[in-house]
Amino acid sequence: MSNTRPAVAPGFGGLLVRAGVCAYVGALVALPLAALLAEGLGQGVRALWDAVSAPVAAEALRLTLTTAAIMALVNAVMGTATAWVLARYDFPGRGLLSALVDLPFAIPTLVTGVMLVLLFGPQSSLGGWFAAHGFPIAFAAPSIVLALLFITVPFVVRAVEPVLMEQDPAEEEAARTLGASTFTVFWRVLLPPLWPSLLSGTIRSYARALGEFGSIVVVSGNIPHRTLTAPIYVFGEIESGRSEVAAAISVVLLAVALGLTFGARAIERLTGTARA
Amino acid sequence: MKPLLHRSPIVVAAAVLAAATLAACGDGTPTPRTSSAPAASVVRTLVLGAYTTPREAYGKAIIPAFQRYWKERTGEEVKFQESYLGSGAQSRAIVGGFEADIAALSLEADVESIAKAGLITHDWKAGTANGMVTRSIVVLAVRAGNPKGIRDWDDLRTPHLNVLTPNVRTSGGAMWNVCALYGAALRGQTSASKGEPSGAEQLLADVLRNVSVMDKGARESIVNFEKGVGDVAITYENEVLVGRQAGRDYEYVVPRSTILIENPVAVIDTYVDKHKSRDLAEGFVAFLRTPEAQRAFAQYGYRPVEETIAKEVEGHFPRVQDLFTVHDLGGWPEIQKTLFAPGAAYDRVTNSLGARQ
Repeated sequence: MSNTRPAVAPGFGGLLVRAGVCAYVGALVALPLAALLAEGLGQGVRALWDAVSAPVAAEALRLTLTTAAIMALVNAVMGTATAWVLARYDFPGRGLLSALVDLPFAIPTLVTGVMLVLLFGPQSSLGGWFAAHGFPIAFAAPSIVLALLFITVPFVVRAVEPVLMEQDPAEEEAARTLGASTFTVFWRVLLPPLWPSLLSGTIRSYARALGEFGSIVVVSGNIPHRTLTAPIYVFGEIESGRSEVAAAISVVLLAVALGLTFGARAIERLTGTARA
Repeated sequence: MKPLLHRSPIVVAAAVLAAATLAACGDGTPTPRTSSAPAASVVRTLVLGAYTTPREAYGKAIIPAFQRYWKERTGEEVKFQESYLGSGAQSRAIVGGFEADIAALSLEADVESIAKAGLITHDWKAGTANGMVTRSIVVLAVRAGNPKGIRDWDDLRTPHLNVLTPNVRTSGGAMWNVCALYGAALRGQTSASKGEPSGAEQLLADVLRNVSVMDKGARESIVNFEKGVGDVAITYENEVLVGRQAGRDYEYVVPRSTILIENPVAVIDTYVDKHKSRDLAEGFVAFLRTPEAQRAFAQYGYRPVEETIAKEVEGHFPRVQDLFTVHDLGGWPEIQKTLFAPGAAYDRVTNSLGARQ
């Protein structure tokens, strides 16, 4: 994909399209954001701090940020490996693997939660085995990481894969012929061009995970201080009529996600892999 | 990939037009219309905004019975639009503009907030049974044969017991559960000393420490219990009875002291006047207290509010040694203040649990 901007359509028609698109995206994305900021900051920064620093809220935010971080780390490693396999090998079932990678985007997240409970719930043999060995998964923190991993599978794979496809496998082969170990090949040949897309894919998966609700509400157990994540805390505050607290926590989540999204764009722009 | 659109604003115009058309079609908000169709029988619509647990009772028994009853009396067909949400969520939906003719909720406080929004203008508690239509009690659902030997609230303190109760922030049922436990302790019916809030808070803390799943609502909670999660579920008696009717093999234990749950129903003045359905809505609410409807509720595990029917089905419901009501705890506003408000007992207990870990 080239880095030059598309030619601008001349005349009034082009202007109309641009204005229309700006108005559309503005109304669809910017307006709701503005409404949230107005509600979340409406009571002043002090009230926002009080809402965020309440013990249950702070703990929920911490849990959300850390489980998302664990997910992002695993995703960065396994996503890169998956992309590498997809880009370098042709094998029976490759098409199926590629389709499986995309599948999580098509599955309602609530269904993801239900699947995980069926698989890892204490009544299932697998879940029962883990629980009996002192490592319960469903209704415990590991289920949150698992749910996040499931819903974010495509992010890193699909960010890294096109870069790998463009890379000439001959470079890897040359390095190997010259006696480089597998690790050296990976670290010195394969990885350098991947960094930008790997980082931006990882960051986007992290930002996506911050707001995950549907799967976690089913699978985590939602116990304050233990398994209650920030989005579910926000939901509870809305349900109990404390929308200003809900908005305050949402503003924090939004700020982290926005910061990360702009960070990802900055990385892409600096390294010339920008999509726009 | 040069966008095709750049060359043809007409396509955009067409797309915008299509979107606008869709939007216009989507504008069909579910406003019931009492159309004066020239058909022989008039069809009228009633919108019911209810909480989740009585869904089967309404859908399978009471609504069909009312449709027959109304048809016999007036010759009119009645169509129902039913919505079932958590009690608090339903209340907020109605306040937010969901034009229900009738609210059938779990908590008096949820009907009060509709009244406070100005949508209910009559004194809805003035009628029969103080505006209440069904009763139940908070009980402890246990596994078949009660393997953990649960008898009363204090047994829920046993270390490593796995307890289910929904989230009080999202579930009216969860609030009933906490009130039952806390009230029993305050009344001196548990190991906590009578009238001593700190003892009641300690009991609440010990039980909450054993809670492994806090679901969004009472229904989700009992569904999880049915799937095999947990040793005990704090829940409504009617939920357990309905589950047992459906062939589930769990049992329930009635604590020595528990709270009487009363579920309100109210006609929403603003919307019935708008829909011109006041006679119909009031007819339905009155019907809910007829022997026929009360018997149907009893079949679905609810304790009747009508004395005669209550006597009739007495044998189906275990007697409670010390049954108390929200009024014994000072009424909902007081309970909100002492138990559920930010910084009140429930918050303190949750925070203390976090601090100890």
